[in-house]
Amino acid sequence: MKLNHFYKLSHIIIFSFVFFTFKIFAVENIDERVKKLTLELRCMTCQNQSIYDSDAEFSNDIKKIVKNKLKNGESERDIKKFLVERYGEYILFRPLMNYNNIFLWSFPFILLIIGLFFVLIKSKGNKV
Amino acid sequence: MSSLVGFLSLVFAIGINFYLFLSRYIFKFQKQKFNFFIRFSSLLTLLSFFSLMYAYVVSDFSNYNVFQNSHSNKPLIYKISGTWGNHEGSMLLWLSILSIFSFFFSFTKNIDKSFQRLTLIIQSLLHILFGLFIVFTSNPFLVNSILVNEGLGLNPILQDPGLAVHPPILYGGYVGYSIVFSIAIAGLFQNTDDEWLYVAKKWSLISWTLLTGGIALGSYWAYYELGWGGWWFWDPVENISLMPWIAGLALVHSLMMVRGEQAIKKWIVFLSILCFSLSVFGTFLVRSGILTSVHSFAADASRGIFILLIFFIVTGFGFLVFLLKEPKKSNDLNLLFINKVSALVINNILMIIATLTILLGTIYPIIIEVMYNKRISVGGPYFNATVIPIMIPGFLLMSIAPILSWQTNKIQNSKKYVLGFIILSILVSIQSYFLDFNTWGFVGLLLGFWIILASIIAIFSSYKVKFTIRFIQIINPHIAHIGVGIAIVGITCSSVFQNELDFNLNEGDKFNVNGKIVLFEKIETTNQINFQSLRGKFLFDIEKNQSKEIQAGKNFYPVSKMITSEAGILHQWNKDIYLILGDQKNNEWFVKVLINPFVSFIWLGVIIMIYSGLIAVSRR
Repeated sequence: MKLNHFYKLSHIIIFSFVFFTFKIFAVENIDERVKKLTLELRCMTCQNQSIYDSDAEFSNDIKKIVKNKLKNGESERDIKKFLVERYGEYILFRPLMNYNNIFLWSFPFILLIIGLFFVLIKSKGNKV
Repeated sequence: MSSLVGFLSLVFAIGINFYLFLSRYIFKFQKQKFNFFIRFSSLLTLLSFFSLMYAYVVSDFSNYNVFQNSHSNKPLIYKISGTWGNHEGSMLLWLSILSIFSFFFSFTKNIDKSFQRLTLIIQSLLHILFGLFIVFTSNPFLVNSILVNEGLGLNPILQDPGLAVHPPILYGGYVGYSIVFSIAIAGLFQNTDDEWLYVAKKWSLISWTLLTGGIALGSYWAYYELGWGGWWFWDPVENISLMPWIAGLALVHSLMMVRGEQAIKKWIVFLSILCFSLSVFGTFLVRSGILTSVHSFAADASRGIFILLIFFIVTGFGFLVFLLKEPKKSNDLNLLFINKVSALVINNILMIIATLTILLGTIYPIIIEVMYNKRISVGGPYFNATVIPIMIPGFLLMSIAPILSWQTNKIQNSKKYVLGFIILSILVSIQSYFLDFNTWGFVGLLLGFWIILASIIAIFSSYKVKFTIRFIQIINPHIAHIGVGIAIVGITCSSVFQNELDFNLNEGDKFNVNGKIVLFEKIETTNQINFQSLRGKFLFDIEKNQSKEIQAGKNFYPVSKMITSEAGILHQWNKDIYLILGDQKNNEWFVKVLINPFVSFIWLGVIIMIYSGLIAVSRR
């Protein structure tokens, strides 16, 4: 009887996952892609504001450029590369994952692993 | 005249602290009214601060600092808050709060007298350091060399009631850690009993509560004054305030272990030193002008170097004592797969990782600039991608942590929690299927509601519900965690499900926001005492009788020739309608409407956290 409930539950879960995957891979429209990209770009003429949030002239220009490039089928990577060549890496709020920034990106996860080891070693001795 | 009084009392207070230190530790005078001198120097420092405030209130432009940062036709509240709206004044505020903490600490009962004195001596060393810093690099009492009738004015962006009280409360948190620092160092020197841990707990709770309030006020201000629609931007200065906040939270939690006789003294001392070091380091970063932000007043390299020096003295001294006078080895930790100790240890580890990650992200651009002479940014996307995933296990754990046992592995009523979690996941799944699915939205909502639900289950299944003060104190950890859960729900909804609408409008146009008709009534310009205001008047939901007015616009401050944006916000319990009036083009106004769902939950959550902080302080 209990097992029966479990099967029903797992069916529900599996079905919902199938629905979700459809939702996730649904094609994003162009405005959403512009938003996603420009949220990660710095408005160079403002103080610590993203291009998406800003209404400065600079930001509006970049928004137009990004939109056109996306319409032409360029990838986000290419657009970022183009902007970095033009304005420098300073424009990217998300630092590039390259050789130079390897420390920046790996640091938290190295700490996490060290912390995990610490807990495991400390708790090994007195397991019940 | 008031400047002279202020300067003399400032110097005199520093002198008293020198005398106390020298007489006690160099010349070994034992007979003296120690507490009297400490209190006297505190009052002198306060006198110094209030005489600066007086100079601001009466617009005494013979004081150079007042001339630089004030104007005679400002409202009184901004004359008062102008006292700390600049570098020199804010450092004097810092010192005054340090004195206030010493003052109150000298009244603490139930602690060893010699321990109390040692703590206060360390406080007075800090007083000397910061006092000299003010006198030599940031003196707010300099005389204006020219005769003037009018000042240069306060930065208009700071002319806001929320921001008027934000610095004193925030500094209360930062500087509050000085007393925790002093207590920890004194504890290392004396190394006797564990009584000091209880004292440290109280003071670290006070500091943490103040810091929470200060940060919340700051971000609320950013929400309605900057007009960007958000309330947290991972701005360097925000990060700086977040670091001691998280480290302080870790400290408060590890002090909980005192109750279970599992305290790791070493770790507690380390955290106490770290919290204050981070506060001083933050002050260095902000005041040196290395970071560009709303907070950097006129930058001056010599000040930066001086604060850096103080930072190295404080941190170096702290950690040196820590290494030399290592605390006695405490009991072994009783770490089990899941008990209270392991939950607290994991919580501490995660919080420290989060703190260090924020630290690295904040100073990384500086390091890169020094090493490669290249400017890069480390912004929100980095912190969202690192700090948030790291904290998730901690959030999961905090839902049940308060009811875990110290000794055993068992969870009471575990079935109820499992059932609750399953039902909740199904509900959130259904919700996210009907709205747009978003991974972060799903995770955030599930976590937030799970914390709330589990805490409620814990309260009702583990304790007898009574309406007594004792009961309120017992369930306090759960209440605090419910606050966090509510805040997580608010944060998730307002950032993930934010909706934006853009319009180009003429006066008299009607437009549709979420099915409600909004009327753009008119544009109005008025002259206020110290600024000109331009306001667009909007009527929200005009089809109902009780339509609500929203005003959004800009202010122009002629004294400093600056324009600030004034967002119009209609607060509702489940959403904020956030209006920004843009520029006028071809006779049409650009209007941006943001619908921020459940923003009020963030502030509610923060208020609950502050409330819990206060209750915890009251608990003995």
